[in-house]
Amino acid sequence: MRPKLMEILACPIDKYHPLELHVFEEKDEITEGLIICPKCQRWYPIREEIPEMLPDELRKENEDLPFLKKWKNQIPEKIVKEGKPFNLTH
Amino acid sequence: MKEEKVRKMVREGYGKIAKAEKCGCGCGCGSQVSKQIGYTSDELRSVPEGADLGLGCGNPTALASLREGETVIDLGSGAGLDCFLAAKKVGSAGRVIGVDMTPEMLDKARANCRKSGYKNVEFRLGEIENLPIADNTADVVISNCVINLSPEKQRVFNEAFRVLKPGGRMLISDMVLLKPIPETVKKSVLGYIACVSGAEMKTEYLKLIANAGFKEVHVVEETPLSAELVFSDATVEAMIKEMSLTKELAEELVTPVVSVKISATKPSE
Repeated sequence: MRPKLMEILACPIDKYHPLELHVFEEKDEITEGLIICPKCQRWYPIREEIPEMLPDELRKENEDLPFLKKWKNQIPEKIVKEGKPFNLTH
Repeated sequence: MKEEKVRKMVREGYGKIAKAEKCGCGCGCGSQVSKQIGYTSDELRSVPEGADLGLGCGNPTALASLREGETVIDLGSGAGLDCFLAAKKVGSAGRVIGVDMTPEMLDKARANCRKSGYKNVEFRLGEIENLPIADNTADVVISNCVINLSPEKQRVFNEAFRVLKPGGRMLISDMVLLKPIPETVKKSVLGYIACVSGAEMKTEYLKLIANAGFKEVHVVEETPLSAELVFSDATVEAMIKEMSLTKELAEELVTPVVSVKISATKPSE
């Protein structure tokens, strides 16, 4: 995705806007990154350029947790430990 | 069927369709069909190969009304056909955002986008009942034969209303019913994927749109489904087999289904 998209992106759950963007990998576009809703602490992965803004019930823990692990050093601690719908605190 | 179960089935069903380039919605299949439902050959030539899976009921009128610089949201963008056509109309000052809940469809759309180098189209994985879009940001919401698949249509229209700017417009095409269909079809999962089970009565459908707050709700066009197109569709064929229907009975089932194009406006005040 392109950063300009953040202008209209909102959290699908509480519709909060603006959201926080963290970029991990970039070519012409952001290929890997994270979008965070500061209001409800939900995080949404950007994988292969696509922001995945799905509600909790459509998300897959077995795909999302490895993503969180992979980038945990570049993700705010609050999200790593308390982020929704999944985090690395067990 | 439970709402979540329906959603899961639809998601998986269309995921398979994206992978196999199969057909979904009972409107028929492939670019031959896309021509019949109103896209011109020029339009179809102008989009990347593979963007047209022929799954829509056709939304060319909506596309025709788009203006330079507008922000357009496509609900259930699939492989991206309408997004790419819309992107041409709104130009570099405008932008088109496609939302689809099927990862396989988005993969296709993204690949198509890359092939053609469109700079003003973006896709995201999302649910049309929970749009990841801020309030009052879109000039136009379009959707092509998708809302019937949602078990929560009121929420979809509420969301469309929310993301539109005051004065913004919704231009959708979808399948609706003129008379109720039998329970057995309604309960069939394949029926859902083929856009028959989920179709709402037309009067009810229009009421849901008005409930969301839309004004000037008009049916711009109403077309009966061509039985020939419907029966050339692999999903429908499977459905008929699954329920061991006779051809006559199956025909009777499709007659109450019509494709409608609807326009509605979010009031400026």
